[in-house]
Amino acid sequence: MLEELSLHLLDMAMNSLAAGARCVQIAVLESAKRNWLIVRVRDDGHGMDAATLERVLRGHSGKQSRKKKIGLGLALLRQTSEMCGGHFHVRSAPGRGTAVAASMRYHHVDRPPLGDLQATMLALCAANPAVDVQLHYQSDDGKFFFSSQEQKG
Amino acid sequence: MNLEELKKLKEKAQRQVALREGNKKYRVVVSMGTSGIAAGARDVMKTMLDEIEKRGLDDVEIRVTGEHGLEDVEPVIRVEQADGEEVTYARLNAEKAKQIVAEHLAKGKKVDNLAVGKQKKAE
Repeated sequence: MLEELSLHLLDMAMNSLAAGARCVQIAVLESAKRNWLIVRVRDDGHGMDAATLERVLRGHSGKQSRKKKIGLGLALLRQTSEMCGGHFHVRSAPGRGTAVAASMRYHHVDRPPLGDLQATMLALCAANPAVDVQLHYQSDDGKFFFSSQEQKG
Repeated sequence: MNLEELKKLKEKAQRQVALREGNKKYRVVVSMGTSGIAAGARDVMKTMLDEIEKRGLDDVEIRVTGEHGLEDVEPVIRVEQADGEEVTYARLNAEKAKQIVAEHLAKGKKVDNLAVGKQKKAE
């Protein structure tokens, strides 16, 4: 359904914006040499309690979820990461923001491509100019850091 | 991912920020919930940002929203005008997004064959 990891990142960051985050930190760490890839989204939004988190991880089911706005983005990412030999982790608490991390084997045959990370970032920058959207990227070739608030100069 | 490609992100973000100041005649709201994203909303938004930048349209701002309740016809955008008129466009792709920028946002002409539902008239 979400065929690129950068679409998952957009989906998660949209959840962060909906949670009232002022700062959304996205990280993409990949190494072909060491055969791993990690995507991570961390925000300072209003967070989730344990029951909500459990529902989110299970993915939506039927009418009730529609009312409560539970989607299936995270459930899908979890499935992808576990299928690709990685781990999936969420930490969230009311008032303390949410952090999601998914790892996978870089060379796993089912690993989705990273896709158009630039388009994801530009969409997020335009989505809410008051929020600081950050990207930490690291690969075998080097590092890159971006912050939407820095661009205002 | 190419590191060089990523570096262009900064220049691009700067140019798009520059177009964002002040009161706008048009506000475009892109439906960017999970179903919108899965249907291609990000690429519709990217195309619109690119076209707006290319044409130097400084009277348009782009925002996003969660689900519109129109999952079956995603990607969906709503164009809101300063005069209160609103038009919803559905089942979009990059080509159609370009057309909306060229006609509606640049010339003020609605693209009737892409519009859906009841349109809200100017007040």
